[in-house]
Amino acid sequence: MLDYVIIGGGVVGTLIARELSKYEVSILLLEKENDIGNHATLANSAIIHSGHDPKPGSLKAQLCVRGNTMYETLAKELKIPLIFSGAFVVARDQEEVDTLDLLYQRALHNGVKEVALLDADEAQNREGNLADGVLKVLDLPTTKVTYPWEVAIAALENALLNGAQFKTNAKVTKISPVNDHFIVEINQQEEIEARYVINAAGVYADELASFVEDDLPYRITPRRGEYFVLDKKVKGFVERVLYPVPSDKGKGVLVVPQVHGNILLGPTSEFQDAKENRDNHSDHLNWIRRDSEKLAKNIPFDQIIRTFSGLRATSTYHDFYIQPAKKHPQFIHVAGIDSPGLTAAPAIAEYVVKTLLNRDQRLPKKTDFNPNRVKKKPFYESHFEEKLQLFKEDHRHGHIVCKCERVTEAEVVAAIHSPVASPTIKGIKKRVRAGSGLCQGGYCENTIVKIIARELNIPISEVDYYEKETPILWKETKVKR
Amino acid sequence: MERNEGETMNVDIVVIGGGASGLAAALSAKDETNSVIVLEREHVLGGILNQCIHNGFGLHVFREELTGPEYASRFIEKFHAENIDYKLDTTVLSINKPDDCFIVEAYNNEDGALTIHAKAVILSSGCYERTRGQIKLPGARVAGIMPAGSAQRYLNIDGYLAGKDVFILGSGDIGLIMARRMTLEGAKVHGVAELMPYSNGLTRNIVQCLHDFDIPLYLSHTVTDIKGTKRLEEITIQEVDENYQPIAGTEKKFSVDTLLLSVGLVPDTMVFESMDLTLSPITKGAIVDHTYQSNIPGIFACGNALHVHDLVDWVTIESEKAGASAKRYVAGEIKEERNNLTIEPREGIRYTVPQSIDMNNFKEPVTVMFRVTNKYDVGTFTVKQGDTIIQQKKARFIAPAEMESLMIKPEQLIDQTTPITIELEVK
Repeated sequence: MLDYVIIGGGVVGTLIARELSKYEVSILLLEKENDIGNHATLANSAIIHSGHDPKPGSLKAQLCVRGNTMYETLAKELKIPLIFSGAFVVARDQEEVDTLDLLYQRALHNGVKEVALLDADEAQNREGNLADGVLKVLDLPTTKVTYPWEVAIAALENALLNGAQFKTNAKVTKISPVNDHFIVEINQQEEIEARYVINAAGVYADELASFVEDDLPYRITPRRGEYFVLDKKVKGFVERVLYPVPSDKGKGVLVVPQVHGNILLGPTSEFQDAKENRDNHSDHLNWIRRDSEKLAKNIPFDQIIRTFSGLRATSTYHDFYIQPAKKHPQFIHVAGIDSPGLTAAPAIAEYVVKTLLNRDQRLPKKTDFNPNRVKKKPFYESHFEEKLQLFKEDHRHGHIVCKCERVTEAEVVAAIHSPVASPTIKGIKKRVRAGSGLCQGGYCENTIVKIIARELNIPISEVDYYEKETPILWKETKVKR
Repeated sequence: MERNEGETMNVDIVVIGGGASGLAAALSAKDETNSVIVLEREHVLGGILNQCIHNGFGLHVFREELTGPEYASRFIEKFHAENIDYKLDTTVLSINKPDDCFIVEAYNNEDGALTIHAKAVILSSGCYERTRGQIKLPGARVAGIMPAGSAQRYLNIDGYLAGKDVFILGSGDIGLIMARRMTLEGAKVHGVAELMPYSNGLTRNIVQCLHDFDIPLYLSHTVTDIKGTKRLEEITIQEVDENYQPIAGTEKKFSVDTLLLSVGLVPDTMVFESMDLTLSPITKGAIVDHTYQSNIPGIFACGNALHVHDLVDWVTIESEKAGASAKRYVAGEIKEERNNLTIEPREGIRYTVPQSIDMNNFKEPVTVMFRVTNKYDVGTFTVKQGDTIIQQKKARFIAPAEMESLMIKPEQLIDQTTPITIELEVK
């Protein structure tokens, strides 16, 4: 019998696994996909919000502000990229200025540090490409930007180091409460027993919860957000995250500098029923263009290298729903984690473990918990001497697989055999950035397919693009059949 | 511990890329007085020609119809006969010029880091394919969508077919060639859609790759939706109006598992990220004078790394000139101080290469290559300085897909300062 089963390998589930791994308990994380961090964690704005926006008194406000303060330590321990960008909320007319003043009060009320209101000249001085016609700006210096899926990968790697276990391609098909524990059915074949079940299943949280709760206090109503990515050549176009004044549709379309120099434009906001549909729509992309120009001028739209979209797990509860189930309190809902979910994730993990699971502090602490993830400095970040050293250790560091992002064969091989691996084109891209650049894998994909095939000893026609059964190639030609 | 310094070399000219362009440039740059090295990231010389197993190469240079590998091999043989230095499997990551010479940083499996000090650099690194993101293609992000050149490489080099039911977006030459190639290999190509009202490929490719195989070409059409859960299942194409906006009610759906993109090529100038190489917003390659020298003295550019060509023959001819200029530069035969007279594209002309003539080094006639903005049956190219016509040339079957050229001679110029303009007149 396991102590804890966590369902869902996004930032929330993986950080809960890490938080629990500080104690002498058994933990299994289940992920239905062939990789962790594949949904909301993979497609979001990457912002560590200051906490100026959530309604005062809400769990969102509390955990967002707390989460923001936790990221600096988290980044050091887990070796995840983090930039201290700061942010501006931009007001363009009198009505927006009035809202901005309220937002300032709200930020103070929520406990956000260092907030200030700036006039247009001051804002323009600090952010050269700020759009013309801005009247007033809310300055949020504590806003940061991270690399979201690496947060999940790093958190799980660290949890594994501290004794947790995980399974991918493991879809939970049934949860049956029995006496003092649960039977969790995986892929309609395997059954696992666990004393506690933590539901961090993102857009599927309501479907899973309905196995144990008849009268569910929330439904998940997925809200799609679409984005543009600009090439990292535009690095420095803006220093800060630029937000419009929020509306009833959410935070609006943003301009977001990314940790590797790219700029993100988006997201849109559109409710939908489907939990998997992550299409892009031409008219929505036009909407991003139009709205982003209200925040910044001279946006280099010709540097767009990619579009993507993701689903927010917005719930009808209008706040994070983090509570034990009413009838079966050993089932913990961690649901409705839409924005600011990435920011709040470490605080959510802390809240779940310290406030809900270990309120009486009876869980035995591990004496040898190691908070640090071992991560090799990437080739692209290394100085010349360090590159020579890398080459000495493994001559495959001399083989540049991805020229755009400067990724070596040794790094691709290491990713294929890493503890939280996913040997698909996308899985490699998530881990080493090969294919994230200007040519979008046009050159390196061919090489990476062959490296994966070689390392796994499979034909290249069996190498998947992302999910299971998504091979890039149909068949080998010129072979006898 | 012994500190590995990596290998350091000194050469006169570094050529980046050993494809059609780099080979021709190196061959004309090399003489008995200088040293030249070619750096090639693949494990064979020849570049993209190796995957172009169709014929049609060399009609201008050799007056013969060769396949890509045959065309490449003619240059590779000469290259080896001349004993020019080269490194395979070697990727150049950066070029800098801290003082009087260029420092080229390259990597390979054998030497690790390779630091090359050079007097001149020839950029002949080719181009890359525009991707789904760059054209903002809407719809689901599923497996089965790839650039046509990638599919060509998988098929012709690796021996793998990308899919069995194929649609092609864009009528660039690679798309047309792949329509035929995949058909021959057993796939069903359902059609080719082209946003423009005319094809972006060579006429001979439309005839030989589409008409001969009954593959429909949908002009003024684009892909407006992509459906599928894991692999591509269905695409929708729609006719577009004169502003390239989809027209409602014109939707056609195709059940396909593969969508190849032939939507343009972009010169690869990435290695110059840390230097202030001036790029043309139109060609996306370097801006060069008639010696193919960029704004940075000692850096020459040619081939598809300079601007995208439709015929390899023009790549060869252009790269030979760039190589010869680099040789003269290293020998001190090109005056350092430049006096550039610009060549400006006017009505009907999209761009020209070169973009200027360096009057301090202008002794021989200069070939100016250019592309037009639209398709016409007949027209006249007029070269002027101010209001003075210095040359006119009649042309037939003018199209953006076919590169045009004309020659400007030193004696034709009326002065050294009035910019040269080229325009297209149509009746």
